[in-house]
Amino acid sequence: MKTLNETQLQRLETGLDAIREDVVSDLGERDARYIRRIIRLQRSLEVAGRILIPLSLTPVGFVAGTASLSLAKIIENMEIGHNVMHGQYDWMNDPALYSQDYEWDTACDSNSWRRTHNYEHHTYTNIIGKDRDYGYGLLRLSNDTPWRWRNLFQFADYVGLSVLFQWGVGLHELEYEKLLSGEISLRDKGGFLKEFFRKGGRQFFKDYVFFPLLTFPVAGKVLLGNLSANLARNLWASTIIFCGHFTEQAATFHEADCENESKGQWYYRQLTGSSNFTGGRWLHLLSGHLSYQIEHHLFPDIPAHRYPEMAPRVQALCKDLGIPYNTGSFGRQYATVVKRILRFSLPERLTRQAA
Amino acid sequence: MSAFNAQRITAMQWLSRQLLNQDVAGRYFDPLIEPLNPRWALGRMIATVERIEDETHDTRTFVLRPPRRWRGFLAGQHVTLALDINGVRHHRTFSLACAPETWQREGLIRITIKRTPEGLVTPWMHKNLYRGGALEISEAFGNFLLPDVEAPLLYIAGGSGITPILSHLESLACREYTAPITLIYCIRSAQDQIGAQQLEQLQHKLPLLNCQIIRADQGEGQPPRLLQASDIDSIKNIQARHCYLCGPTGLMAVATTLLETRDVPEEQVFQTFFAPLTNPLTDTAGGAVTLMRSNRELTVDSGQSLLEAAESAGLSPRFGCRMGICHQCSCRKTTGTVVNRNTGHVSGPGEETIQLCVSVPQGPVSLDL
Ligand code: FES
Repeated sequence: MKTLNETQLQRLETGLDAIREDVVSDLGERDARYIRRIIRLQRSLEVAGRILIPLSLTPVGFVAGTASLSLAKIIENMEIGHNVMHGQYDWMNDPALYSQDYEWDTACDSNSWRRTHNYEHHTYTNIIGKDRDYGYGLLRLSNDTPWRWRNLFQFADYVGLSVLFQWGVGLHELEYEKLLSGEISLRDKGGFLKEFFRKGGRQFFKDYVFFPLLTFPVAGKVLLGNLSANLARNLWASTIIFCGHFTEQAATFHEADCENESKGQWYYRQLTGSSNFTGGRWLHLLSGHLSYQIEHHLFPDIPAHRYPEMAPRVQALCKDLGIPYNTGSFGRQYATVVKRILRFSLPERLTRQAA
Repeated sequence: MSAFNAQRITAMQWLSRQLLNQDVAGRYFDPLIEPLNPRWALGRMIATVERIEDETHDTRTFVLRPPRRWRGFLAGQHVTLALDINGVRHHRTFSLACAPETWQREGLIRITIKRTPEGLVTPWMHKNLYRGGALEISEAFGNFLLPDVEAPLLYIAGGSGITPILSHLESLACREYTAPITLIYCIRSAQDQIGAQQLEQLQHKLPLLNCQIIRADQGEGQPPRLLQASDIDSIKNIQARHCYLCGPTGLMAVATTLLETRDVPEEQVFQTFFAPLTNPLTDTAGGAVTLMRSNRELTVDSGQSLLEAAESAGLSPRFGCRMGICHQCSCRKTTGTVVNRNTGHVSGPGEETIQLCVSVPQGPVSLDL
């Protein structure tokens, strides 16, 4: 693939550093107020959902309660949890918003997430073999991965992964593909598994045992509501995340290319390995601003609600340097994801034409 | 934390973790409660400002009403206030300038704060705190405490160092203390005297209180008048006195030496901090680093990040990318200034979170590591 020369990389680095600096020096009251307002919204939605589901007398009330709880979970995971854990609000010095202590409302243990996502995925983005987020060791998304028979059915795998997304993410660090190949043994993962069961058990207990029992006469309804809310959140989170890195144009890299890379090269890899999608304010909020995946990968610890103001500057810089800036409508980007999953379920020789 | 090494936790804490993913359930509900009334907050203690009184041209007393569950204090203790200034939470410690007895009676406490013009927090407080406003307060702490038995006392105060001493004296007045008390209060000029009214009233309530006010400013062309040996010569039976010192470092040093030469036993001399402890600012990178949890001292030169320094000292702090992206190396800094070597950003002097892999100390730093 196309790369930049030294001067261009230098210009990219200085340009992006400047964009970052402008926002960092402007962080303050506005950002604090924003995140606290979102947290208030999330708490209100969750409390409303938990009350409305058992007390609803009509299907409309039940659906409203479930929707409210789903929204609460989505906002908590995407705009609050994911972003807080990136350290986007560490500068506020508020223990409730401290990245390393935050625990979120999903089966995935936050410590495991911080290791695999903040560190591995954000550092080694789209490097085949190093970024395990690339296909999650389950899907073949480029010809860099050899084709196997299993890949024929990978669309079903994808749907399954989306439905159970919180458990998939929770088990990500298990590195099951390495377990299967015998590279590592279950014993190596003892510590991780203990954490996984502790956190996963906690989530299971809350949504499927405690709240249903608490509202015993209507336990079935509450169980159904909670299951639906988790399902809605799972599908949504999975869709957003797949749109971030697995669109048609998103580039992949090899370990050798990235050795001793400069800051400029790192920026370049983040830029070309990620993709944005456009939409309204609510779409951005519910995606945790991962609709600005490019900006997020360039500036993972800048409060995400700032990405919309940074994006035009990043895009202009890319245009200047002739770097592709991968963006499109949500629907279009998602369609290319589906296409990519389908296309690479076939062996290379059958799809070479299409490429 | 595994189930095996988990500390004993209460049932409430356990449930709060299960249901809310919070160690303290209150933290989950506070975003909903605080907008209604900050004093109802469950996860932290919020005091409200009852009134604000001017003491001198640059010093004000903030009369606060702590929340009901605040546990109270002993005379001479301090509290830490947390203030959100432009989105960033800052912590500062101040002495309480009133008697515990008054708090028990009225539910109010007094904090007297001098504005440091070059500071960030005190000017902000003077300008922005208003009647009815809210701020976070800690439980009281400190061991600048009155003796258990009645003993003759000597106080030496300088400037706003008078505040914990006012707390002592107020408390003594409530107890009808009968042993002799001497107060030597050094100030720059008449207009810098804090608690003038309070002291006057105290002299009525404490007949054995002897108050000497020393003004440094002796008028045009005169050398400043500082604490000197003759000031304590008139004090009878000084070896029996319990001595309490609070003021600028220079004054404290002079006072300690004077007391030593008069053979006052060391265990009878108490000092407390005077101004928020800040480290001297230096422009050169590098400095002495104290790792508090592992009880180690390192010297870090300018070429090294704190992460590298800790590692070469044999520690293994958690890290990820080592380039400032992932925040895996985040750690609490309790005091001192660090520079981010990627951005050149210089931190504040107080307690905050820093990324070890990109931080270089600038002067002495202590870390929760
Ligand atoms: S190790 Fe990744 S930010 Fe320090």
